[in-house]
Amino acid sequence: MNTTQIKSHFEYGLVGILFGAVLTRIGFADYDELHNMFILSDLRMMYSFAGAVALSMIFFIVLNKRVPKQHKLLQPGTVPGSMLFGFGWAITGACPSLVFVQLGHGALPAIFTMMGIVIGVWLYRKTHGKFFGWDTGTCGV
Amino acid sequence: MIEYWTWWIGALGLFGVCLAYFLLVGRLLGVSGSWAKVVGWRENRMLQQASQEFTSNQEDMSSALMAETLAEFGEDALQELQSESPATEVAANKVDVNELESSTPWTAHLAFLLCMFIGAFVTAYLSGQFELRYELSAVHSRIFGDTWEVWLALLFGGMMVGFGTQMAGGCSSGHGLSGCARLIPASLLATIVFMVSAVFLSMLMEVMMR
Repeated sequence: MNTTQIKSHFEYGLVGILFGAVLTRIGFADYDELHNMFILSDLRMMYSFAGAVALSMIFFIVLNKRVPKQHKLLQPGTVPGSMLFGFGWAITGACPSLVFVQLGHGALPAIFTMMGIVIGVWLYRKTHGKFFGWDTGTCGV
Repeated sequence: MIEYWTWWIGALGLFGVCLAYFLLVGRLLGVSGSWAKVVGWRENRMLQQASQEFTSNQEDMSSALMAETLAEFGEDALQELQSESPATEVAANKVDVNELESSTPWTAHLAFLLCMFIGAFVTAYLSGQFELRYELSAVHSRIFGDTWEVWLALLFGGMMVGFGTQMAGGCSSGHGLSGCARLIPASLLATIVFMVSAVFLSMLMEVMMR
């Protein structure tokens, strides 16, 4: 393992800590808050999300050429996959990052969610080549 | 009652995270990609090894390919091809393994995920939100009922989240934050679909509960 790789651990770790802290302070770990957002009775977190997207959009438009192209394709799995994810999010209150934030709050049942996500990701990697086989363009890969 | 950030501070915070990830890592934020790398580290390593072997034996590989081609199509076909396009000399560039697959080790992605837990824990502890609980929240238990029913729901919900994000090629950070900010059509569609389906199911649960 060379120095760049060791450095990347620290960089990823630093951003991870920041991400966890911000998600906590916004309140995404709180299932009640999230549920209130999803039944549209309290849109505070939705506005935070939309605001962050708007700010990033401005930033990326300014820096247009410097930003690496993202490999995200409109593929047959986009809609059904997103639907599954949406239902799962409503049930567990956890997206792939929020599960760690919930655990960080001491919510022990989130361990089951985490096990579920591991199984789900693993299952998809197993079944993808067999049944689907299109290019999903998963982020960061 | 816990005080959370108002929406615009939250927006600034989330934007700050996206910015930090972009500046430090050089890519756009995407958590499900990290999950994929952590869960599939063994296969990825095997792929990496295979491509490494391939690049170290490129000469052998191309001569083997040439021999196979000769056996399949014969000398004449090859000569015909070369006479047709003499300019396209076999100039196969050396393939760099680090460009084939990103050189970030999977443990860095694991560090990212675990540090999310640490960051959340420290923040929750400092603001007095930390508390070991056996249920997600009162509302959650009211919707799903007994303890084991909650656990089963969480397990299956987690599987849906894991499977779905891999199938869609992104999650609320990859599609929602990064993809929408770049106005990628697939991400906009994915974000609309998962938000609408989450709202739909939550509304349904709310109605059923009454």
